[in-house]
Amino acid sequence: MQKTADVAIIGGGISGLSIAFNLAQAGVKNIVVLEKNFLGNGATGRCGAGIRMQWGTELNCLLSKYSCEFFEQAQELFHNNIDIEFEQGGYLIGAGTDEEVEQFKRNVKLQNDLGIESVFLSPEEAGEIMPHLDITKIKAATFCHRDGHLNPFRTTEAYSEAARSLGVSIYEYTEVQDILLDGDKLKGVRTDKGDISAPLVVNAAGGYSKLIADMAGVDLPVYSQRHQIMVTEPVEAMQDPMFMGFSLNIYIQQVPHGSFIMGRSDDSEPTDLRLTSSWQFLEKMSETCTTLMPRLGQLKVVRQWAGLYNMTADAQPIYDEAPELPGFYHAAGFSGHGFMLAPVTGHVMSRKIMGEKADIDVSCLNVSRFKDGGLLPTESSVV
Amino acid sequence: MISIPLLIVGAGPAGLCAAYRAAEVGVDVLILDRAQKPGGQLVKQTHKFFGSEKQFASTRGIEIADILFKRLEDLPGRVELLTDATVIGFYEDGVVTAEVQGKFMKYRPEACIVATGASEKTLAFTGNDLPGVYGAGAVQTLMNEYGVRPGNRVLMIGAGNIGLIVSYQLLQAGVQVAAILDAADEIGGYLVHASKIRRAGVPILTRHTVGLAYGDEKVEHAIIHALDDEWNKIPGSEQQLDVDVICVAVGLSPLADLLWQAAVDMKYIGALGGYVPLRNSDMMTSVAGLYIAGDVAGIEEASSAMVEGEIAGISAAGRLGFSSEESHLLKKDCLQQLRQLRAGPGSEKIRTGMALAGAYV
Repeated sequence: MQKTADVAIIGGGISGLSIAFNLAQAGVKNIVVLEKNFLGNGATGRCGAGIRMQWGTELNCLLSKYSCEFFEQAQELFHNNIDIEFEQGGYLIGAGTDEEVEQFKRNVKLQNDLGIESVFLSPEEAGEIMPHLDITKIKAATFCHRDGHLNPFRTTEAYSEAARSLGVSIYEYTEVQDILLDGDKLKGVRTDKGDISAPLVVNAAGGYSKLIADMAGVDLPVYSQRHQIMVTEPVEAMQDPMFMGFSLNIYIQQVPHGSFIMGRSDDSEPTDLRLTSSWQFLEKMSETCTTLMPRLGQLKVVRQWAGLYNMTADAQPIYDEAPELPGFYHAAGFSGHGFMLAPVTGHVMSRKIMGEKADIDVSCLNVSRFKDGGLLPTESSVV
Repeated sequence: MISIPLLIVGAGPAGLCAAYRAAEVGVDVLILDRAQKPGGQLVKQTHKFFGSEKQFASTRGIEIADILFKRLEDLPGRVELLTDATVIGFYEDGVVTAEVQGKFMKYRPEACIVATGASEKTLAFTGNDLPGVYGAGAVQTLMNEYGVRPGNRVLMIGAGNIGLIVSYQLLQAGVQVAAILDAADEIGGYLVHASKIRRAGVPILTRHTVGLAYGDEKVEHAIIHALDDEWNKIPGSEQQLDVDVICVAVGLSPLADLLWQAAVDMKYIGALGGYVPLRNSDMMTSVAGLYIAGDVAGIEEASSAMVEGEIAGISAAGRLGFSSEESHLLKKDCLQQLRQLRAGPGSEKIRTGMALAGAYV
């Protein structure tokens, strides 16, 4: 393994790979990505891989719009032929309460003002988009036709191949065990395959980012919570959009090969990094989905699994250089939407690392906001 | 949620013997099996067993299944067997989920014996997804269970005991066997089986493998070739065989998915067929109260599966507070039987593998 690097990126998930790709594209040489398992083994390969621009805060709308536009042109931008299976069947978001109806009206206005073509729908109109939805269970809905979902494995491959072809070295099965310091100066990283000296280190370790920050002795106010998913047997195409509900507590999509993939949140989920599955999830998820979509009750569940949401107090990410350790960068705390933000994560982090201005101002997503009482308005449009 | 003292997963030789020993001393047992009837792979084994009387030597497998099942009646403990009952989940809180005759069920067992057996290994070659390519177990099921011949002319891949026995059964059913191939230098199965087949005129080609199967939407031809010392094809050694069935008998892997879910300590031991759970001489895994028996604990014969089942049954019963004066002696005798079954020169690999897995050897 190489002994030196200009930038060492910790984490071979979609965020780390996107940062590597963007840095390499901007001309930075000698970049390494260090992944303790195989690429995408963390939250990237375990997530729902939904892409949506329908958010409740301006910043999230802008970040996700950037990402969505990137994915629309991914093949050209990556210069490879890997099909990331971006299916833009839209996102249909159902309101379950009167408060949500009002919130959704405000969201659509905000989104439209930012150039996002979302619409506010009656339950009947939502039923036309998704005929197997029991519309008596929703009070209203919003829809954006450019939202959708993609294949996280293909996307990981597309990013990693693009990064490799630009000269990035990717080391899988290479675990970072320590951050090397010289006094209070950053020196590099220690892995189970040897040390790498690097003046710049990026913490993109997702669910494990707090462990990495601890190694560097810097504060990163995040925690990881288990989230579970299940998948059904495949059937003929019957649902174009990703359906989502916040108070309804569900996201569900039918992937191109016909399976339904769905997840929900649960405050009682453990926060100790375990990745086990529970039968309680299986039951609650089945109940939620068959209440809203009775026809799915005929499907068999074929598998369930879990991944980690890396959470912050305002459910928005941290894009920052650690104030205590110059050269050590955080791209963490994605709070369940790190996958869809990957393109913008790569862009803003690469610009920050190179000391250049990014297309979107993300200075408010600093790591100090949690101390200074500068929390951002909490994003309510999350499952 | 149903609370039960002892759950046994799998009603094959190991599971049925475990149930017998546990119920004999008074444990109520629930056995779940995904098949339509009990017996596991015994129900397709029409040949007579070797070994000693205790493991039903000279009795056909299919008859052993009946004997093992019938003796579960009228024991001090009640044995309930549910077929068409697939265990699908082992959760960290000890709950076991199953699809039982179409219904989702949850069980909370105090102890559990996993006796799920094995699955067949497959072989990578061009055309191996064509209709006509079978695992040896599927061929046995078709012929011996359902009375259906898989085709007219078979190429058998693998000269271990399963490959040899299934070839002989094919011949008995009036199916031609074009050849038996094995990539190894020597025939892996018992020579008594191999000799019978050779006498019937079937060539056994060691250092050979199949490279290609082709035909119009189904297997019609196979190209086989010889292998050099580095396992590479020897150019010019290709032969075409006109066959409509390619039967793959290249060994078994422990069906250990449930044990992975239960997070028991596993170890890759090639001699035992792949990843196997570590165990102690009671057949208990690293998870307290979770026992194993049979092929899931390492690929062997039905005879040793039955004895392992007995040990697991006695041990699980003991853990639940049920034993008799003879339990201790019985377990000792079982361990002795296992040692005898694994004593031959041909069992050296098994002995080494079992020692690595923590078993009594």
